[in-house]
Amino acid sequence: MRLAEGWSISRKRVISIITTKNLQVSYLNKQVLKNFTCEIPKNKITVIIGSSGCGKSTFLKSINRIVEEEGGRLSGEIFIGDKNISDLPKETLRKQVGLVFQTPLVFPFSVEKNILYPLNYHFSLSKSEQADKVKHYLQLTGLYEEIKQDLDMPAYKLSGGQKQRLSIARCLCIEPAILMLDEPCSALDMKNTISIEKLLIELKEFITVVIVTHNLSQAKRIADHVLFMDNGELIEAGDYSIFSDPKEELTRAYIEYMNY
Amino acid sequence: MIKYRNTLLKLTAWLCGGLVVTATFFIFGYILYHGALNITWNFVSDRPRGVPIGAEGGVFPAITGTVYLGALSGLMAGLVGSITAIFLVFYCRNRYVKGIIKASIYFLSGMSSILFGLVGYTILLHMLGMPRSLLAAGITVAVMILPFITIRIIKLFEEDSTELLHASLCLGVSKTYILRKIILPSYYINILTSITLGVAYGIGAAAPVMLTGAVLNAPTPQSVTQPFMSLSYHLFILVSEGISLTNAYASAFLLMAILLVLNAACRGLEYFKKKGD
Repeated sequence: MRLAEGWSISRKRVISIITTKNLQVSYLNKQVLKNFTCEIPKNKITVIIGSSGCGKSTFLKSINRIVEEEGGRLSGEIFIGDKNISDLPKETLRKQVGLVFQTPLVFPFSVEKNILYPLNYHFSLSKSEQADKVKHYLQLTGLYEEIKQDLDMPAYKLSGGQKQRLSIARCLCIEPAILMLDEPCSALDMKNTISIEKLLIELKEFITVVIVTHNLSQAKRIADHVLFMDNGELIEAGDYSIFSDPKEELTRAYIEYMNY
Repeated sequence: MIKYRNTLLKLTAWLCGGLVVTATFFIFGYILYHGALNITWNFVSDRPRGVPIGAEGGVFPAITGTVYLGALSGLMAGLVGSITAIFLVFYCRNRYVKGIIKASIYFLSGMSSILFGLVGYTILLHMLGMPRSLLAAGITVAVMILPFITIRIIKLFEEDSTELLHASLCLGVSKTYILRKIILPSYYINILTSITLGVAYGIGAAAPVMLTGAVLNAPTPQSVTQPFMSLSYHLFILVSEGISLTNAYASAFLLMAILLVLNAACRGLEYFKKKGD
């Protein structure tokens, strides 16, 4: 898949790097992230792996502070570039840091309006520009060819995989500097999984991508940087070599188990 | 043994379900049978007459009074209830504040209707010096149906819209934008239904209006500061004073007809919304 013409994220944009220092997140009395300190390099695909319930999704949700909306308590520091996220207005932060959830959620509008909904909030566009943008972002996720005749169809009628790709397109249309995806391919077949992976690889030239996955093969295919988490803690961070030569016993055990 | 237990459980469930359906049909059928026989155009369009008042004539001012009361209380409780629910679900993040507001609503929902009448009478008529009026009764009924409406709307929002909210917030849009573009357009029919059902519950209660605004005989109110007739209170007086059981059944039939129309309107709105989706 090629990036469509007119891709509007400027190469000159100051692309951020995420740094967390002693990040702690708790829901009621349960601590989910414990003294989480890590760095996420810019213009790379960072893959977060770890067993279910270890806090991977919570980590993503704490970067754009959605965790607080869910009743979580966040302490410690998170920096996007050199800016502490607590100094940024939440709307600005969330426009910079897009997040796609594991369960695809479409808004109760047509497919077209699902894209226009965030687009019209952040940008002033003419009707023709709106139509171009809708086409462009749907093309990026490979959805346009499948539904170009039915753009006014209610989005809930799409299949699970199509909904997920619509969610990704909707997130891309706000032109985030960092794109975070929580198991984005869990509802996709292999063909669409590969096309999303290709898209992410192309996107990393312009933006930073952080992805949570349980699919080790996928992680190996796309990862530039890997974080392995266990029980709310960062166990190991490193480049692609983590898959072949993990330093920590927990990482080794997890990779062996997932390879089994 | 397990087979017998399952059969017993099924039988009990069927029995209970059957009991509910029988009770509902019996009450409706009984009132329909006794009430419909006494409904005449004169009864619907005339004002109460005779000695004692209500023994003859009709209940037209009571019908209009009941409709006005429903509209007024529904407007007040609907506004406050919807805004409270929106605040609690979408804006309030302090769980202590949330807890206090929710506990207050649940406490209010457990109060009996006569207590609302008594408190309305003491505060509105005695302390604030308001006249016995449609307004005083409307406020009292609004407070009574407020928890009913608020709880339903909170439940509606909490069940369906928090995921939409979080997915929207992740796109960097404001909560006001989400409310305006997604939540309110998606749920306004359900909100209206909650308000309508609350109104149906409110206009059927005699206790909160008998001390605050309803009277035995009055014309259709021309302003909210005038006393008014209510079908529920009229029915109560006709039966408790032994004035006319036939007219009481006819009044009950009309009250039930209004409640049925309101319920049918809710179902109709929901049906057309589903069809539209």
